Order: sequence, then C-alpha cells, then structure tokens
Amino acid sequence: MRSLSLIGLFSPAFVFASSEGVKPAATDLFDIAGVPISNSILTTWIIAALIIIGVRLAVGTPKLIPGKGQAVVEGMAQGLRDALEPIVGKQMIGKTFPLLCGFFVFILLMNWSGLLPGVGTIKFHTAAGWQDAIRPANSDLNTTFALSVLSFVAWTYFVLRYAGFKVLVFDLFGNKADKKEVGMLMWVLLVPIFFAVGGIEVVSIAFRLISLSFRLFGNVFGGENLIHALGGIAPYVAPALAGLLEVLVGVIQAFVFTLLSAVYIGLICNHEGGHDDEHAH
Amino acid sequence: MIIAEITGSLPATVGCFAAAIGVGLIGAKAVESVGRNPDASGKILVQSILGMALAEAVAFYAIFLAK
Repeated sequence: MRSLSLIGLFSPAFVFASSEGVKPAATDLFDIAGVPISNSILTTWIIAALIIIGVRLAVGTPKLIPGKGQAVVEGMAQGLRDALEPIVGKQMIGKTFPLLCGFFVFILLMNWSGLLPGVGTIKFHTAAGWQDAIRPANSDLNTTFALSVLSFVAWTYFVLRYAGFKVLVFDLFGNKADKKEVGMLMWVLLVPIFFAVGGIEVVSIAFRLISLSFRLFGNVFGGENLIHALGGIAPYVAPALAGLLEVLVGVIQAFVFTLLSAVYIGLICNHEGGHDDEHAH
Repeated sequence: MIIAEITGSLPATVGCFAAAIGVGLIGAKAVESVGRNPDASGKILVQSILGMALAEAVAFYAIFLAK
C-alpha cells in the first residue's frame, strides 16, 4: 500500500530526479466523499491557510496607528496599489484592488512553494510507482486554469457593472471613426471593418483564458522541470542557481498575471481617465 | 548533408524561436529607452513586462496547441 517516504525531506532534489522529469499531471492523494483530492490542491489549501493565518497574526485588528506587522502588510499592499492605479484608473482601483492584490500574493506564494525543500521530492509508493506527496500548486494546469477563469469572470463582472453593456459592445464592434473627419461615405464603409475587428477582438478575449493559464503553468512547470533536470546533471550547486532564477520568475509571473488582469479591466473601464489625462496635457 | 537527426516538434521550435526574438527585442528597446529617460523606468518596466508577456504567450500556444 501507500507508504510515505520522508527520505526526500533530508536529501537534495536529485535523489528521485529520474530521466523522465516531472509528471505533467497531478497525482490524486485521497478521496473526500468521492471527490479526488490531488497533491497540488493540498498545496493550494496549505498556502491559503498560511496566508490567512500569517496576515491575521501580523495585522491583528487594524489600528489607525499601525504596529510593525500592520505597517509591513500595508506597505506592500500600497506598493502594489501604486503600480496598478494608473492601469485600471482612479475610479476602479478601490473596487478591483482586493481581487488583484489577492491574485498577486496567492500566485506569488504558490510559485515560490515549488522551491521549498520537500515539495516535489517527498514521495510515497503505490502500485503505479513513486508519486509526489506535495506538488507545487501552479505546476498543475487545473490550478492555473481555475485562476484564469476567476480572472475572466471578474473581468465580465467589473466591465458589465461599471462600464455597462452598451460601452462594452461599442468598444468591441462600434465605429470609432469621427464622422466629421472621415466624411459620411467613408464612415459607412468603415462600419463592416470595425465590426469584423470586433469579431477578432472577441476571439482574442476568449483566448485570454488559455494564454493566462498556459503562461503561468508553462513557466512554473518549466522551472520545476529545469531544477529537476539540473539536479540530474550536476547534483549539488546547479539546482540552487536555477532556484534563484525561479525566485525571479515567480515574482515576474505573479506580477504579469495581476498586471494583465488589471489591463483587461482597464482597457474597457478606464476610458474617462484616459480622456482626462489628454485634456490635462 | 545531414549532420544530426532532428527530433521533437518543429512548430514548437519555430514558435519558441520567434517568441524569444520578440522578448529580446522588447527587452533591448526597454533598456535603450531607460537609458534615454531614466525617470520613466517605472512606466517602461510595466509596459515592457506586458509586451514580453504577450510575445511569450506565442511560445506557449506553439508548445501546447501545435501537435
């Protein structure tokens, strides 16, 4: 039956790094009421619990004069807010920031979870061979796809709620040419072109689901593979160097996911802000 | 003359090659523009990361969708 091996906890990653690399699919650990729980879901839950407990312990009850923990958390959140504010716009940042900040922190910690000792190296034995007990959450396509579906649903909500259906349809299919500038005949001729462009736009919006999820999955899974492969070639120092690279990739990919979600919302909702800027100059 | 056998996915190769060139061009231009206007480095960072992410997406389409 399944016997848990703790050897991986005390040894470098190369012990179980075989030539086949990291398995592309997550492994099911156990069932809860018929729903299989995979090793990457387990990692997700542990990280979610750690974020909640960690922030609760650091901040406690928020006070007007912040303590040390609250000042740290507030400082980080403020930095992210300053980076995102010009993209989603002043009106929208208050409404979208909780979601975007959640995306950033959650994805960042899930990316970095792959670098912890034991993740991907603690194994247990089944009839099918050695299986990972813990798997970095973002190296499972299901996790990243769920995140991008969440981002997409939130985009739909924010756009319909704060910009409206009319603005969305005009932004996609409407004729944005100026009647006085191009003339009436040209304007009418431009209508089908703008409509066709809208069709392409809809396809590209639908592809955001795929591009967001595959980008995150590809980077984290690729990095995990790289570390394991380097462990197979040069067991002692090289995996640590790749780990340093993965720390950087983790930050960048978390930022990219957050930034792209913000840009997609800002593209439709941030029209007024853009025009105000033009008048100001 | 065939020096070595070529294996693997040709679409993925071409896609990754093109995406890498694209990311490199964006990075080069970003560094160049920071050199010209160091005060705008924050804005340039955001724009260039966005551009790189979009260029990089092509590589993932090529790897995962091309069979």
